[in-house]
Amino acid sequence: MESFDEDAGLMARYRDGDAAAFSTLYARHKGPLYRYLLRQVRSSGAAADLFQEVWSRLVATRKRYEPRAKFATYLFHIAHNCTMDFFRRGVRRAARSDHSDAQSPEPEVPEYQRPDGVAEFLEQQSALLAALAALPREQREAFLLHEETGLTIEEIARVTDVGLETAKSRLRYAIRKLKKSLHPVEAHARPLRTRTV
Amino acid sequence: MAPMIPTDDLEEYLRGDSALSRQYKREPAPAPPPALDRQVQRSSSETPVRSPYLAPLALAASVLLSMAPVLAIVFGPQPKQHTDDAPHLVRVAAHAGAAANAPLDRKLRLYSSDPPHTRAPSAWLADIAALRRAGRNSEADAEFRRFRAAYPGYSAGELPFWPQADF
Repeated sequence: MESFDEDAGLMARYRDGDAAAFSTLYARHKGPLYRYLLRQVRSSGAAADLFQEVWSRLVATRKRYEPRAKFATYLFHIAHNCTMDFFRRGVRRAARSDHSDAQSPEPEVPEYQRPDGVAEFLEQQSALLAALAALPREQREAFLLHEETGLTIEEIARVTDVGLETAKSRLRYAIRKLKKSLHPVEAHARPLRTRTV
Repeated sequence: MAPMIPTDDLEEYLRGDSALSRQYKREPAPAPPPALDRQVQRSSSETPVRSPYLAPLALAASVLLSMAPVLAIVFGPQPKQHTDDAPHLVRVAAHAGAAANAPLDRKLRLYSSDPPHTRAPSAWLADIAALRRAGRNSEADAEFRRFRAAYPGYSAGELPFWPQADF
């Protein structure tokens, strides 16, 4: 059996009944996974639910695990799918609410999607995290996958089911926007300087 | 059109020592609550839940699969028989006496498509004799030609009749 990384070997051991291997895997990946989910869905309650769902799926499908790639791509592919399901559910709920109750003053959308919820969430963030939260979801995901797990562009493309160029483009736009948040004054000053030349 | 972005930004970032990465690592790193940790750890040792319907479904599927060839033979489309394969019936209108002399299972039916040697000479000759008695000499002659072709060594003395034509 080809082993792609140590974690893939641990997962294979867990598949074969070694419970201690799971504990090691969990300890290594719980932080990055939790932050990926939290910063994607921007709600601690939803992140906790998704976090549990991701691990549950991994546990339930462990017998079918074959180490074909880095373990992180396997885990975060599950996380990506769970997150996509979560966003789809949110969209469906909002659409259903629009159709079923046109009189309702407040559409039934997740807390993190409400304007006040987002504002409250952003108040607790630094400039960088606020800029991250403001990114389009796909760009935010590409950035988080690289920062939290060290995945390469090829691996990000595999996790998110897109082509290599798409993944590269998403990450490129993400870092360009985020860099502006690090130097907001400089970002605003540059166009003025170029105009005066 | 999307603005062009210098590739250096991305390459510098991917090398891992960018100011952006350093700043992100300085941000607070929230972790899952301990209660969530315990819940996940507990669920990791549980065996996967199997549906109670799986076993009966698997049994039904295997029974169906094993019966499939039989069902296909019984209920499947039957191959069409070519009309040419059907035996050609040569009807012989024999009179009552001939019918009485003929063997019960034959009922004076002659099948010209039967392979010549599958018919016993005595039965064949009896049929030819019946044709003669019925006055259908041309048919009897034709049948006798076939008989001769099939049994060229058959003795003329054994014939129950005398052929009309010269054979």
